[in-house]
Amino acid sequence: MWREKLSIKKDNAIAALYPSAKFLIVCLYSFCSLIIGTIKIEGYPFFLIPWFLIVPILCAASGVWKNFIKAFNKVLFIAVIIFVVQSLFVPSETIIWQIGFIKVYEAGLQSAIVLSFSIMNIAGMFIWMFQTTENKEISRALEDSGMNYKVAYVFISTLQMIEVLGKSSKTIMNAQQARGVETEGNIFIRSKAFFPSMVPLILGAITNTEERVLTLESKGFDVKCKKTHLFEIEKSGKEKLAAVIAILITTLVIIGRVLAWVL
Amino acid sequence: MEKRHSIKDDFSMLALLIIPIAVAVNFVGGQLASLLKLPFYLDTIGTIFAAMLCGPWVGAVAGTLTNIVTGIANPVNFAFIPVNLLVGLVTGFLSRKNMFSVWWKWIIAMVLMALTSIISAAPIVVLVFGGITGGGTSLITATAMAAGANIWAAVLGTEGVFTVVDRIISFFIGYFVIKVIPARTLVKFGCGGNYIRKDNSTSI
Repeated sequence: MWREKLSIKKDNAIAALYPSAKFLIVCLYSFCSLIIGTIKIEGYPFFLIPWFLIVPILCAASGVWKNFIKAFNKVLFIAVIIFVVQSLFVPSETIIWQIGFIKVYEAGLQSAIVLSFSIMNIAGMFIWMFQTTENKEISRALEDSGMNYKVAYVFISTLQMIEVLGKSSKTIMNAQQARGVETEGNIFIRSKAFFPSMVPLILGAITNTEERVLTLESKGFDVKCKKTHLFEIEKSGKEKLAAVIAILITTLVIIGRVLAWVL
Repeated sequence: MEKRHSIKDDFSMLALLIIPIAVAVNFVGGQLASLLKLPFYLDTIGTIFAAMLCGPWVGAVAGTLTNIVTGIANPVNFAFIPVNLLVGLVTGFLSRKNMFSVWWKWIIAMVLMALTSIISAAPIVVLVFGGITGGGTSLITATAMAAGANIWAAVLGTEGVFTVVDRIISFFIGYFVIKVIPARTLVKFGCGGNYIRKDNSTSI
């Protein structure tokens, strides 16, 4: 039987890895980050800083540098705030630096490094995974790994629904402004604008679902049989190599941690 | 008549389609709140609404999926998956026990909802983020910490007040929406029967 098929062709070997292989790398990397955070030299977890270099290098090697920077800005913002607050505002006994009224506390600086670099490490690696993988690849991989096809449908449908409702919320806001609902002014006026925008949005969406149930059922969504797919993903063949490298690095990190205990 | 619940029955076709809407409503609600420069997140409206209509398990899935989807853009949100999951679960169980029918039951329900949020969010904020999440409330928390307050007290105090108000607003929006959904639609949802007016004297 002839079937039409779609697939995504990627030239970059790292970006073309199968989603589950990427997920394994993310999990092992996060695990290593947590372990490395416990190795301390005079109380400071300095190893976390060079360890973090892996994230930008991997992103650049996968060819998603620009998207990575865009997504990473938000994480960086939170990490910097955490760093500043932890090192300046958490009082402890020892003061390392003092410039005028600004004091940097020792215990604060130590926890600042652990928290902000752990967040940057783990979040950065997730950004790498999502920037190199398209959403429909994720949902297809979910289905291939034995999940119910309904899970994959809900996931993809959610991403579409965010766009749809985002657009209709703008329409509703414009309509309500035309009717005279004020969206600027003091906090009470602005809060009052929230209700007339949200309630019609949710109601409209609910009304549409009934029709979508009919549509899906008429297309045989609930029928128990083997489903065919329009979109296919294939393994690139480098998954085993990537997994071996990731496991090797993790083992080295664990050995390093044990050595640091013994010595 | 006592209705028996099974998780599989909870995920009907209609419930499956409500989950994406709930997530999108969470997302749009959060965007709208920041657009109107409100000091709340208001990003659990969809979760609460889905849980009230379809029960705890659908609510929990909607909550979890929200943080997974927003986590694609900003992975920091992954840390807050348990909070949103619990919001869905607790609201769903309250709805199943018909706790949104009389005003004094409302107050108990609100207290329980707010407590779950605070108890589940505070440890994450303190242990993972050191008290600061970059949101509007962080400024107050940081000020309290600089003034020498204990980090737990600072986080519980600020997050507590804002969370309670946040949950109350979200709950009211969900409730208003359910009140205007016609009865013929409501009966199709797992917990929808609880919100149908039997006669003019019963509900508020």
